[in-house]
Amino acid sequence: MSFWDFVDDRWSRLLSESLLHVSAVVQCTIIAALLGVTVGVAVYRSPFGSAVATALTSAILTIPSFALLGLLIPVLGLGAPPTVAALVLYGLLPIVRNTIVGLAGVDGAITDAARGIGMNRFGVLTRVELRLAWPAILAGMRVSTQMLMGIAAIAAYARGPGLGVEIFAGLVRAGSANATNQAIAGTVGIVVLALVLDGIFVLIGRYTTSRGIRGQ
Amino acid sequence: MASEIQLTDVTKRYGRRKPAVDNFSMTIPAGEIVVFVGPSGCGKTTTMRMINRLIEPTSGTITIGGEDTSTLDPDKLRRTIGYAIQQAGLFPHMTVAQNIGVVPGLLGWDRKKIADRVEEMLDTVGLDAAEFHDRFPRQLSGGQQQRVGVARALAADPPVLLMDEPFGAVDPITRGNLQDELMRLQGELRKTIVFVTHDFDEAVKLGDRIAVLGEQSKILQYDTPDVILANPADDTVAGFVGAGASLKQLTLRRVRDVELVQPEVIVSTQDEPDEIRRRLTDAGRSYALMLDARRRPVAWVHVREPRVRRPIRDMVAAESTVQDALEAILTEGGNAVVTGARGEFKGLVEIDTVMAVIRDLRETV
Amino acid sequence: MTSTAVATERGATEREETKKASSLRMFAQPIVVVVLVVGVLVWAFTRDLDAIEKQSINAPVLLDAVWDHLVISFVVTALVLIIAVPLGIVLTRQWARASAPVFLAIATIGQASPAIGILVLFFLVSGWEGLWAAALPITFYTLLPVLRNTMVGLQQVDPALVDAGRGIGMSAFAVLRRIEIPLAVPLILAGLRTALVHAVGVATMAVFVNGGGLGLLIDTGYKLSRITVLITGSVLAVALALLVDWLGTVAEQYLGPKGIR
Repeated sequence: MSFWDFVDDRWSRLLSESLLHVSAVVQCTIIAALLGVTVGVAVYRSPFGSAVATALTSAILTIPSFALLGLLIPVLGLGAPPTVAALVLYGLLPIVRNTIVGLAGVDGAITDAARGIGMNRFGVLTRVELRLAWPAILAGMRVSTQMLMGIAAIAAYARGPGLGVEIFAGLVRAGSANATNQAIAGTVGIVVLALVLDGIFVLIGRYTTSRGIRGQ
Repeated sequence: MASEIQLTDVTKRYGRRKPAVDNFSMTIPAGEIVVFVGPSGCGKTTTMRMINRLIEPTSGTITIGGEDTSTLDPDKLRRTIGYAIQQAGLFPHMTVAQNIGVVPGLLGWDRKKIADRVEEMLDTVGLDAAEFHDRFPRQLSGGQQQRVGVARALAADPPVLLMDEPFGAVDPITRGNLQDELMRLQGELRKTIVFVTHDFDEAVKLGDRIAVLGEQSKILQYDTPDVILANPADDTVAGFVGAGASLKQLTLRRVRDVELVQPEVIVSTQDEPDEIRRRLTDAGRSYALMLDARRRPVAWVHVREPRVRRPIRDMVAAESTVQDALEAILTEGGNAVVTGARGEFKGLVEIDTVMAVIRDLRETV
Repeated sequence: MTSTAVATERGATEREETKKASSLRMFAQPIVVVVLVVGVLVWAFTRDLDAIEKQSINAPVLLDAVWDHLVISFVVTALVLIIAVPLGIVLTRQWARASAPVFLAIATIGQASPAIGILVLFFLVSGWEGLWAAALPITFYTLLPVLRNTMVGLQQVDPALVDAGRGIGMSAFAVLRRIEIPLAVPLILAGLRTALVHAVGVATMAVFVNGGGLGLLIDTGYKLSRITVLITGSVLAVALALLVDWLGTVAEQYLGPKGIR
């Protein structure tokens, strides 16, 4: 069976695996963003806090994904829970780092001005600082998403959802007719979806960044 | 050791656009500083870079000491031409000594000779060898970096030196010092120096000759600073020379060339206040100049308060420019005290003398 | 103009943060590694092990796994070094600059694709097993950071320095060897550290192509439901990755050119 025949044959299954893959990555990126921005906001004013948060999250990134999965299985079992936990943890670093850098990069004169016209601390944060740091935060989310697309594939080892299922199925059926087709479908599918998501991020960036700070 | 540089019908063209340098011909006499001055983008740097073939001319010939540069290997050619650029271009990962020793190294000198030469060059540019030898460029001030840059350019004793705005990135005071230093060096070394700048004052101060360049490196005027200041070839040059041309000319005259006057009353630090008052009253003067035992100026003393020594805030040397003297006069009021090589009192420059110099400059050229 | 200024400022803050974070890790990471290794070994060896567990939890098997893992990682690093650095140098030369985007795109796709997918595909297509079946696809996967850092490192060398080098009579090759490469070394090393950490990480999956390594313990523990084996393998893999990352950081600090450290 040729690759295209194979895709045609398994189209609905591949489609649902693709959707699961993307939805797992997108949801985990969002959770990582909520956590990461919270952490970033909590520490960005303290140089030591920033250093600890950056060091910890980048240490997480050093951990081999397969080993992290191995550690999560005994605790969280199989399927969605270890997948979500792993993806969220890996997604943190780029977002935490970019949030800290973005917030620290906001011109002090601007926040002074905001306080000066009577905004409270929370107002300054939500209406000024986070708005200005948003491009950096979004860039962090974009990096996280790209990374998680690849890492999500290994989650299939712990019966996680997504296109990784095809890759592992191909591995198990090595030698059978469709093994290579399955591995190609899984791998290429992830690359294509990652590119599509990346394009979507560019669009989101264009429409959510204040025109005043958009690069020319 | 110096060589004459001759550029004949040199043109540089990029693609189909109008030439960056169009039909440029000039003779740069051996042992002189020729300054290319002109607005940015006029092609003065391009012209200079064609001399060491960092840019290859599209047409025309360039000879150094009679030898056609296009017949030489470009890398070997450049090893015989000193090259100093803005912000020094020092290699940040090499020590001061390594930076200075690069060209001698490329020329295959042995270690001992390179090491000796490095010490000598550090000394020449006024840096303490022991202190600066092993420093890295980022541990130096801007002025010190430039000095090392000049030392590197001179290390292999090239007959020709190309300098592309070498003092452009330092503060005005340091720049002034570096310019003085370069003139002192040139007094000893007598290299052929092509110096590019957009600062006309720098050109006047340093240049034996100035080439004022316009668009496409067109030579608007090529002459001595004197002539250009007094007699700009056209409105463009006049605009570049700018206002206060006469004042700038003052930088061309040295204090030693003008007439000094002697004060009526000179007293010594040993003299009694009563004695000083009596001598001033006799002479009908209000101020006396006080010198120490070695005839160095110490202070001005007024007839009504002979005990109070009023310090001299600004003195000039015989080698200083008349412009320096004018500044001292403006600070001191009335006149400027001139000292000799060992700090001994030589005489005074009065405001009338400066006025006479200006009148003279206007008439003679 | 304004956006450039903002970007530079961001760059500066980022470097500062990264610097502080990395000095924190320089200090804490080796301690964490020691605690992890000692902790998990004491824990594993003092437990009541059944016969199956004993087949994995013993010194020769553990050492073997670590050794295989290191060999894969270092073969990958060596290959990356041999391929990516020269390629990066060539792609930044004037005459080859036009082809740079093509190679960068290929390397980007390599990294954007799932490591496990590349590994499995190579295995299925080539039919190889063992060290090279793991090392070659992992090399492809890890090429990008070193390639990109080599190129960026060479491109960011101040053109005035290259000009100064040529101006005082260095040949193009001498400028490359004595100025451009030394100045790019810090970034190349940073890329290499990233690549090495990637390699150690992906090497845990070498087990899927019979390449051995610490992944073998994880896989065995998972398939045979032996938590002790699973955890021992995972923790050792984590510790190894942290250790290699730390060694890389140390190397970066001491191998970079002195004048710009």
